[in-house]
Amino acid sequence: MVSAPLIEKLKKTAGGYPDQRSALLPALDMVQRENGNHLSKEDIAAVAGLLGVTLGKAYGVASYYTLYNTAKVGRYHIQVDTNIPATLMGGQAILTHCEDMLGIRAGETTPDGLFTLSEVEDLGSCGTCPVIQVNDVYYENMTIEKTDALLESLKKGILPEARNESHFGSECKVLLKNRGDISNRSIVQYRKRGGYAGLEKAKALKPVEILDAVKHAIVRGRGGAGFPAGMKWGFLPQDNAAPVYLICNADEGEPGTFKDRQIMEYDPHLLVEGIAIAARAINAKKAFIYIRGEFRWIAGILEDAIHEARTAGLLDVLDIIVHRGQGSYECGEETALIESLEGKRGCPRLKPPFPALKGLYGCPTIVNNVETLACLPYIMEHGPEAFKKIGVVGNAGPKLFGVSGHVNKPGVFEYPLGTPLKTILQAAGGVKGNLKAVIVGGLSTPILTAAEAETLNMDYDACLKAGTMLGSGGIIVMNDTVAMPPIALRTIKFYAHESCGQCTPCREGSVAVESLIEKLLSGCGETADIDRILHLCDTIIGSTLCPTGDAFAMPIRAMVRKFLAEFETLVTANP
Amino acid sequence: MKVTINGKEYEARQGQTVLQAARDNGVYIPSLCYHPKTGPAGKCRVCIVEIEGARGLQTSCTVPVKEGMIINTESENVRKAQRLVVDLLLSSGRHDCLACEQNGACELQDAAYRLGIERPTFTLAPKEQTDNSAEFVFREHAKCIQCGRCIAGCNATVVNEVLDFGFRGHDTKVICDDDVPMGSSTCVQCGECVQLCPTGAIVDKLPRGKARTWQLEKVETVCPYCGVGCRQELHVDRAANRIVRISGVEDSPVNEGMLCVKGRYAFDFVQSPERLTAPLIREDGGTFRKASWDEALTLVASRFGDVVKKHGPDAVAGLASAKVTNEENFLFQKFMRTRIITNNIDHCARL
Repeated sequence: MVSAPLIEKLKKTAGGYPDQRSALLPALDMVQRENGNHLSKEDIAAVAGLLGVTLGKAYGVASYYTLYNTAKVGRYHIQVDTNIPATLMGGQAILTHCEDMLGIRAGETTPDGLFTLSEVEDLGSCGTCPVIQVNDVYYENMTIEKTDALLESLKKGILPEARNESHFGSECKVLLKNRGDISNRSIVQYRKRGGYAGLEKAKALKPVEILDAVKHAIVRGRGGAGFPAGMKWGFLPQDNAAPVYLICNADEGEPGTFKDRQIMEYDPHLLVEGIAIAARAINAKKAFIYIRGEFRWIAGILEDAIHEARTAGLLDVLDIIVHRGQGSYECGEETALIESLEGKRGCPRLKPPFPALKGLYGCPTIVNNVETLACLPYIMEHGPEAFKKIGVVGNAGPKLFGVSGHVNKPGVFEYPLGTPLKTILQAAGGVKGNLKAVIVGGLSTPILTAAEAETLNMDYDACLKAGTMLGSGGIIVMNDTVAMPPIALRTIKFYAHESCGQCTPCREGSVAVESLIEKLLSGCGETADIDRILHLCDTIIGSTLCPTGDAFAMPIRAMVRKFLAEFETLVTANP
Repeated sequence: MKVTINGKEYEARQGQTVLQAARDNGVYIPSLCYHPKTGPAGKCRVCIVEIEGARGLQTSCTVPVKEGMIINTESENVRKAQRLVVDLLLSSGRHDCLACEQNGACELQDAAYRLGIERPTFTLAPKEQTDNSAEFVFREHAKCIQCGRCIAGCNATVVNEVLDFGFRGHDTKVICDDDVPMGSSTCVQCGECVQLCPTGAIVDKLPRGKARTWQLEKVETVCPYCGVGCRQELHVDRAANRIVRISGVEDSPVNEGMLCVKGRYAFDFVQSPERLTAPLIREDGGTFRKASWDEALTLVASRFGDVVKKHGPDAVAGLASAKVTNEENFLFQKFMRTRIITNNIDHCARL
């Protein structure tokens, strides 16, 4: 049921967007929250009517995003991340333990309606795995004992306060300079430490001067593609009458990646300042932060920071809306993100046209990653030359590296681009046991063997030369206790789950690969199945509508090719 | 402009896509999600080709032609990619052609035939799921390839806004409203989705199992119902002298293939035994008796004459029908004005 006060709230939310249909995702979320974490067909219809979208569209959205519960869930929704970093760090054992303790399987609800247990994909908590999300709360660094205590508390009706800590380190002191002290979240503290000096300088410059500085600094996009931000801005049409939108991509979902949340959670004003600088450069009056819905508390921190900055008169005419995603990896792709922000399913658009020409509501739009935008205050304050002094030629600036898996101190570490992988792994406390393989740029980049990773430097070009990609800088470390076929299976299960379903090679290719690896692991496989996997991967690469096809075909191909013997053993062991 | 396809030079027009140029020149490129009416979608990825100078493979439905463009639709890489897509589509559904309505008129079947795919490599088909709830449209999810043509047609062409995509990934399916059976949805059964479906996923319900596509003779005509004048194609079983189904004519500027529920489905009157085949004259007792046209027309003419004589010509009015042709309508008003001598003439399309 949608109550009268909620209708007013929904209308107010819808009024904040240039097109009220953009409020579909937040509206469905708000209605679900008012109705015991359940989204009924009646409520979907009510929201559709209120926002003027068709019933099919609204239900299409409700059934697309994983955070909507179209089936009833228990009072406590226990969500256990079992993606690759979590699996390496004990997530599967936690899930099994929860199943045993609750007497239900993943996907089921206890008869008393108290618990629903779900196995979920990456929660952006890779350095602090195993992680359990209960309703909106993250419980990180979980052990069997901590899980028992958590379940006991929940049975008593108490959702305990989460005390989450993680390792971090900063060599550059640009992006994580304020990490460590929670009081730095406040604008007073941020300004005391020199914050908003970059924005002040930017305000004294003409937009084109900011653009030139960012172009000169060569800030390669930190979301994964590594495309220079200044060049992207340069694609905006000149003499354009339509509004220009700025979107900050905070939909951090690439497994192995948990870097943007370090900035947003601990230094939100750094991002707000970066957004204000970028908005000035591209003449945007409206900016959006599209943040994954699971980071609910972080979205709140950002909203507080924006409020503070606005109250302090720092934002001038700029309006920043924090928009929560609702559970879809695909929305990290910039055109899928734009679709989602327009209140639609997270299906990528055909390119061209690129968002700079035709993006949100068909208007020129720039989408930049959190970390990219967080580099801007430094560039404004110290100049592009200072930025370029950090890192190596063509790969300038600081980079956040998230290290997860088999290391002693998983966490996020800020190093100049071009830093040896070894140095970063040492910062993360060194590898636990013997290094077998490492994924250096998030799960969608090709895996490297220990030998290949030995002398790798962590920048865009060096990684490309080594046959992989720097991606988001999410480093997943595997020691020699790891068997590769199950890792490949869990990897492809993730992509099959997250495929938007729009184009054939991704939608069906992912499940085809999954079925073949499953067949091999079940002992029924044949050698031809390995060839089929490789054929699928080879053919899918470059043939999908968006990069997601490559995102699973490249890593799976690398896992199979580089650890072929392990896959072949599955056949020969069962002739 | 000139483009080269598979080593041969062809004429192409500015603004055309590679696929359109190839089709116009009789070069077959398999394609499933593209339909001239719903436009390029780039979803099925089967129309993939090689274009010299472009990185990787390109979908021919989305790339505009350029002067001197060199296109290859048959290279090994292209064939490999096309085959994989069609194989995956065949693998992910229950594409059993034997009893399928679309056998012989199926674009997926054509693609499989041209690419030489006898049977699918994988077994990824969903459970059988049919929707027989609607009056005229039958849906079979396992034959759906998620091309989105029906959805584009429903939302952008006829703007009935019933169909959409629900769920995601491999579970993606076409839903009616909030995933209810079509018969319980707001669908008005215009059948545009049937018209656009490239496979047997959405078909006309009534003719199922009545005739194979190749046994039917197509006869073009104008819809007899209203004044719009939609062009339609009757699919006629000559041997049984029956209309089996009706589809819209895509290149008709009037309706662009669209029809309404009456135009597409309400043709049973043609073969109805209750249909009048001769004039009937009501006897004094109220019963009807068959009469010849001469007798009937003479009777009508004399009765009209009586009324005009007694009450004047304005005591008579004529209401013309949209079911007849313009010429017949013209004659009717002429008759009313010059023979009856009244301007009391109107037309049902005005009501």
